[in-house]
Amino acid sequence: MTFTSFNFLIFFPLIVILCYSTPVKYRYVTLLTASYFFYINIKPIFALITAGVTLSTYLFTRLMGKTNSWPWKKRFMVINIVLILLPLFFFKYFRNINAGIFVLLELFHLKCPLPEIKLFLPIGISFYTFMAIGYTVDVYNEEIEPEKNLGILALFVSFFPLILSGPIERAKNMLPQFKAQINLDYNMVAQGLKFMLWGYFMKLVVADRLGIYVDAIYGNIYQHNGTSLLFASFLYPFQEYADFGGYSLIAIGTARILGFNVMQNFKRPFLATSMSEFWRRWHISLISWLTDYVYTPLSFSFRKYKVWGIVIALMITFFISGIWHGATLAFVVWGLMQGLFLSIEALTNKEKSIFEKKHNLSKKSWYVSMGVCFTFILFAASEVFARATSINDAFTVYRRIFTVPGTLFIGRLSILIYGVFGLSILLLKDLRDEFAPSWFLLFENKHKFVRVIAYSSIIILVLLIGVFDGGQFIYYQF
Amino acid sequence: MIKKIVFNIAVVFLAVFVLDFVIGGTLRNFYFRETSGSFFRGTYSMEITKADILVFGASTAVSNYVPEVFENSLGVTFYNTGQNGLGIFFQLATLKSVLKRYTPKLIILSCGESFSKDKESYDKLAYLLPYYSKHKEIRKIVELKSPFERIKLISEIYPFNSQIFTILVRSIEIAKINDSSKKGYDASYKRWAHKIDTVNTYTTYAEDQNKVMALREFITQAKESGANIFVVYPPVFQKFNMRQEIEIYNRICLIEKVPFWDFSRDTSFSNNKSLFADVDHLNHNGAMLFSGLVAAKIKQAINKDGP
Amino acid sequence: MERAEVLSKLTVIFRKLFSNDSLALTNELTAKDVGGWDSLSHMLLITEIESAFLIKFKLKDLNRMKNVGDMVDIIISKL
Repeated sequence: MTFTSFNFLIFFPLIVILCYSTPVKYRYVTLLTASYFFYINIKPIFALITAGVTLSTYLFTRLMGKTNSWPWKKRFMVINIVLILLPLFFFKYFRNINAGIFVLLELFHLKCPLPEIKLFLPIGISFYTFMAIGYTVDVYNEEIEPEKNLGILALFVSFFPLILSGPIERAKNMLPQFKAQINLDYNMVAQGLKFMLWGYFMKLVVADRLGIYVDAIYGNIYQHNGTSLLFASFLYPFQEYADFGGYSLIAIGTARILGFNVMQNFKRPFLATSMSEFWRRWHISLISWLTDYVYTPLSFSFRKYKVWGIVIALMITFFISGIWHGATLAFVVWGLMQGLFLSIEALTNKEKSIFEKKHNLSKKSWYVSMGVCFTFILFAASEVFARATSINDAFTVYRRIFTVPGTLFIGRLSILIYGVFGLSILLLKDLRDEFAPSWFLLFENKHKFVRVIAYSSIIILVLLIGVFDGGQFIYYQF
Repeated sequence: MIKKIVFNIAVVFLAVFVLDFVIGGTLRNFYFRETSGSFFRGTYSMEITKADILVFGASTAVSNYVPEVFENSLGVTFYNTGQNGLGIFFQLATLKSVLKRYTPKLIILSCGESFSKDKESYDKLAYLLPYYSKHKEIRKIVELKSPFERIKLISEIYPFNSQIFTILVRSIEIAKINDSSKKGYDASYKRWAHKIDTVNTYTTYAEDQNKVMALREFITQAKESGANIFVVYPPVFQKFNMRQEIEIYNRICLIEKVPFWDFSRDTSFSNNKSLFADVDHLNHNGAMLFSGLVAAKIKQAINKDGP
Repeated sequence: MERAEVLSKLTVIFRKLFSNDSLALTNELTAKDVGGWDSLSHMLLITEIESAFLIKFKLKDLNRMKNVGDMVDIIISKL
């Protein structure tokens, strides 16, 4: 079951009713049961891993709380982190590490035939593992007390709105909310429903529709010419924004209806004027997590190297981000590219601000537009490595873009028309939100009539041109 | 407060319901007014044709059976209901709709598709959604798509999801071709230029029980209607020992005691690449030859059974 | 050292690092309020402060620095 499967539309209202019918003190039990039910419905055995990660984290954080010895606190923290990373490494990277070892063994004629183990990646493992690690470090840093209630901690790790694909939340934000007295709040429910509606629009109308075209091109790299490959590469970042951003909105909306405030994950990323700004608007929860738990400790340790310390910290952080996204060399390249872009920006920042101040550029719209376009191009260029399944394919795409001319592949025209139409609506809304947030209000209009028409129109649009036949969410297998 | 929430949700649902009814109704109206194209072919097959011979199948049905050959040889009217890419589910649905209206004299089922479990075959059931409300007989087939189709079909727009552009474009097209004049036959004038492939291995796959049962039901219903049914596996430009599909057709035809004519490895075709448009489909020359053969065989079979 | 002295010394450092001669520091000031102060430049700021006040921060101190006011408190505690 995912957010876009029909049975979720039945499951969720039931859970909402159940949850609010449960006495406040025990609501977390209802939610915990629902979360495990949700997860078991995907594959029962994955729930065991989630439970294992929860138990280990509970045990070691309680131990940290019981001892006064800092070296022991550190040991408990490290042991837990290593333990809960094991399933992630095993499922995500086993195949590739295994293949790599096989290649080595073959080189030395040492390979012995072993049965191939087919492993299905537990859904969401990358997300909840990071959440558990964050909690462990927070306990060590004394930012939060070790949670005594196993059920509450278990809910934090398995909370069904977040478990599949984030946002990657913090214990400091979620645990108090799980324990608080949450009463049904009209505004929370209304806001949550609006988020869900817009999220479904982004996912079903824009992402899955553009995805049909992009898949057709990227699925046949050697058959398509450079023009089509370029166009598909241009569309892909929009597809991913609508897909992941939409899915995050549904998650946030779902949590909101249940009474919880979850962090924003995307903030109009394509209006960023630099890569550093971009990474404050794209997959915010992941970057924020990496900044707090990887980048800051690293850059702190390397601070004596001044700017170069920052560069090293950036490269390592985004290397980790790369392999978090995928267990392939292509994703490593993707990650390193982000690190490279940000490093260059960090190194040239001072000169850039002096130059901008001198010519008063930051207010000039042509300069801002240039920044927006350039940032998009950089990101889209790196996304080729994320979309192509291997480095080889990514380079092939680049090669063909520059060397194979031809007319744009259209296929079924309606696909592009629906996709571009939906995307235009999405981008217009983002522009409005960024530059004129109180104009053209539809979902937030003060007249109920306008609001109702707006909601219904979006629902009708989803019925008309949403993709219903199994569009698979990109970040699902994380 | 709960009252407020429920009330507001109900208001939105009402607005959606009204818009859905109006827009969906409009789409339905335009869809069924088509006189050409794929939508029209389906409608014509299910609701209009009263031809004596009906061919059912997917792309092989479309390309391999020449209407005039059958009409001249057997003195009957002909229509091909087949459409590219639409498999046994669609064929069964079409048959059911046909049999509700009349009994054709002859039914030819042109084989070729795979019986493996694949999601695409179920997604393609979306083609039948516009017909769900009027055609009770095909509902069970449509519901194979997912357990929630009945709920989704409450929406008037849902059957026409993703079709609005096509429907609108087709409705403003000035030059419309009445497709029934081609009687469902799409001639190909391509010639296959490559050498014949030999496939030595025979790999089996897990059979999709829904598909196999649909095939069985097709043959049973065709038989019980009183029509003469012939299951034909057209020529293939490939050398192979066996295909699982052929075994399946053979098996079911044996059980149901209907004729199964397997031309898949007929050398009078596979030795002659000029008869093929591609590995699985005959071109017009090949289709003429093949149709003549099949028509003659049918004539013989009918005469043997008596008038 | 008094708070005011720490604050004025910090102001010099901030103004130099963020190329803003008119920047005024208050206790409530955060990174959001200062152009150019982000996670990339934060560590540079930290190093400048360490060498200017001759102190050494711990990672834990960083986590406690929510605004300039906290920064001043922590600096004083290390002097």
